[in-house]
Amino acid sequence: MQPALLTRYRALEAIAAELPEEPVVVALGTMVRELLLVTGRRDHHLYVLDSMGLPAAIGLGIALSPAAKHHDKVVVIEGDGGLLMGFSTLVTIGLLKPEKLLLVVLDNGAYAATGMQRTAAPAVNLRAAAQACGIDAYDVATIDDLQAVLRGTRGIPGPVLLRVAIGPENRQAPYFLPDPVDLTLSFQRYLAGPATSAR
Amino acid sequence: MPPITSALGLDTKAVVEERSQALIRGIDHIGPTHVLWLPSSTLKGVIDHVEQRAREGAYASIPLTREEEGIGIAGGLVLGGAKPILVVQDNGLGNALTALTTFAQPYHLPLLMIVSQRGGLNEYNSMIHTLTERVDDIVAAADLRSFKLDERVPAERWATSVVAAWEHAAMTHRPVILLCNLLY
Repeated sequence: MQPALLTRYRALEAIAAELPEEPVVVALGTMVRELLLVTGRRDHHLYVLDSMGLPAAIGLGIALSPAAKHHDKVVVIEGDGGLLMGFSTLVTIGLLKPEKLLLVVLDNGAYAATGMQRTAAPAVNLRAAAQACGIDAYDVATIDDLQAVLRGTRGIPGPVLLRVAIGPENRQAPYFLPDPVDLTLSFQRYLAGPATSAR
Repeated sequence: MPPITSALGLDTKAVVEERSQALIRGIDHIGPTHVLWLPSSTLKGVIDHVEQRAREGAYASIPLTREEEGIGIAGGLVLGGAKPILVVQDNGLGNALTALTTFAQPYHLPLLMIVSQRGGLNEYNSMIHTLTERVDDIVAAADLRSFKLDERVPAERWATSVVAAWEHAAMTHRPVILLCNLLY
């Protein structure tokens, strides 16, 4: 019997537990809402409320910025649909090789927020595509493997793409409708300070 | 680039060169940490300079794959305390609209986009007008702040206008598009 696929919620729990202080750029829709169920609102999470396809580029910019020196990793949590929409950014990441960038792709093969329509992701080996761009890449499907890769990449120069195969389950979660300016200010303050300071 | 109106004595190449040098002076005066760009034939001199300055260690020069990617990377850089400038052509501005209006604008990220304006008088590419001649209206409809540099602005004011546009973006906490027509 095939083991059950990871849920997005369980994967986010593991990511939040392994990366409790790193800046995290979170893709819109179900990803943002389920992460809020897991952790509540956090200053070190940049919630990208729209702008599908952009989180990897935003994370790349942060990883290239002066603030990156305060943090072990700059994390992006993206879906497969969003990654494909900004797919060429993998090439730019491969060109610039930001050492701290960790791009986690939760791949359910579907656009979850709009009704689980299928994406083109099953047609591509995302790990191989990332590797072809010069990015260190991993493919995991269990919680143990996810935790092992997250721990294994700590302190090791990236960039890294981690594809996590997840199932179709979506948690019911309320909409998150803050003023984006508020998100900017709290995230900027977090980025600027040493990761060890009290917050 | 073929000169268009050379028969009447206008040296288009010299005009482009003079305005390119003004943009370069403005960019270097701002002192960016990163210059992110997509090419335009009229921006060749500017981008060649950016690449040279990057080789000298003045700042990072980043070739983009798409305009909206530039908004994402530049936005991330701003969040992390860097000072990026974008250099692109207006024929690709449509690609950047969603990123500008859903990210840079609502998240209050000050960005300077130096955008070469094409498709008007003295343009030599007959296909480039289909989007570009609507760019002013598109930018206005998207409620994006823009300023224009063309032959109505004295050459000696181009560099100071680049710096002023950056200051305006920083002061008003939003992206500012500087539409620069190097041909007219």
